[in-house]
Amino acid sequence: MAEGKIVRLRIKRQSGPQAAPQWEDFNVAYRPGMNVIVALMDIAAQPRNAEGQPTTSVSYEANCLEEVCGACAMVINGRPRQACSALIDRLEQPITIEPLSRFPVVRDLVVNRQRLFNDLKRVKAWIPIDGSYDLGPGPRESAADQETAYPLSRCISCGNCLEVCPQYNDKTGFVGAAVLSQVRLFNLHPTGKLHAGERLDALSGPGGHQECGFAQNCVNICPKDIPLTDSISAVGRQLIVHAVRQALGS
Amino acid sequence: MATATHELPAPESSSTTPSRNAFLLRRLHSLSGIIPLGAFLIEHFASNAAVLSRHPAHAYGAQVKFLNSLPFVLALEIAFIYIPLLFHGLYGLWIASESTPNARRMPLLGNWAYLWQRISGVIVLAFILWHTWTARFSGISVPDHPELAFAKMQAQMAHGWILAWFLIGITFVCYHFAYGLFLFAAKWGITVTARARRRWGWACLIFGVFLAYAGIASALAFRGILIYPVR
Repeated sequence: MAEGKIVRLRIKRQSGPQAAPQWEDFNVAYRPGMNVIVALMDIAAQPRNAEGQPTTSVSYEANCLEEVCGACAMVINGRPRQACSALIDRLEQPITIEPLSRFPVVRDLVVNRQRLFNDLKRVKAWIPIDGSYDLGPGPRESAADQETAYPLSRCISCGNCLEVCPQYNDKTGFVGAAVLSQVRLFNLHPTGKLHAGERLDALSGPGGHQECGFAQNCVNICPKDIPLTDSISAVGRQLIVHAVRQALGS
Repeated sequence: MATATHELPAPESSSTTPSRNAFLLRRLHSLSGIIPLGAFLIEHFASNAAVLSRHPAHAYGAQVKFLNSLPFVLALEIAFIYIPLLFHGLYGLWIASESTPNARRMPLLGNWAYLWQRISGVIVLAFILWHTWTARFSGISVPDHPELAFAKMQAQMAHGWILAWFLIGITFVCYHFAYGLFLFAAKWGITVTARARRRWGWACLIFGVFLAYAGIASALAFRGILIYPVR
């Protein structure tokens, strides 16, 4: 191999959920247009650290490689983002790579996002259309609602908004911006509306909407440019209306 | 028959409706900061501005006398000041204790504002408890001797460090209230778009700066320092 440019990486590694994290340096050969995933693939192909010693390959998750699946979220140079859209050319070296810190580490850069999935289940972030018989076509969705809903539907559950949230921790049990925004999305849908009350009930409990401190980091970090703070406000309004209606018995 | 195996989608665990208390308590915390506490803050600063006159001791004393002549004044104080203050302050401490600030890592305006809302809250609580104790519950009884109210405050303010403590308290309470107004609109769903929040944010900023100016002008007037033209 010709003596080409080298990409330097510093990766925070952890051999298992209970193991202590430690940093390991890597050098990989530069190729034009490469992203962080390519660098991680190169390490996996020939797992040697910067000192040239053989080591284990770095575990990571990635699927779509086009920033629509959310799997490859990690903290790159201090900023949570998708590794697939993190181009080496635009990153300062050595590139530091860490797992998301708000989820338990499984191994190296792989984290367990179960809390996020549990919270999505808790608020019923779906539209129940399955039955044992044909339910027929649903009501039409207005063009205006489609305009609002489409950006919200782009959420990939990557967890970046949770990584930067000062309220997302074990003490608050906060569900986080992604989940609040999904509630707005499904409450907006003509069929999803039918379960709006249940979603709002879930968000009124511990860890719900009230835990948001409106630091607005989520909306600044979101790789899909979702108007998360708008969603938090909109859901806040729904919760107030819902609470007043219930208090008045309607 | 096979009908028994055909189950309709079960009503999803709606039997366990979670407690709404967390939501209601936080909304009450938010509301209590505006009404009555914010409303009282405005009233308090407006009353104190009586010192911005040619005869501050007289005007200030008349203001104190008027407020203490209100019917049910003790009940009003307890219901609209002491109880909301203790609730907002203590619940606020608990909220702040659950926070994990990261403004260094994410140095964004909203994130700094979030952190300072918590810092200012703690400082303001300490200031208000001290101020209520020294001005209302110790020393000369102001309700009984309204004519001495100005002299009492003047004696306190004569100490440079107490004046500084007042200026800090006033500045932080204005920040906390003004940003609290912004947060109230955001969390209650009044400002749902970024544009609305920007506009309302500017309104809150201007209001907060004005309030701080009014408060500081009144505090300095006890030392004869006038930053507002007295007619």
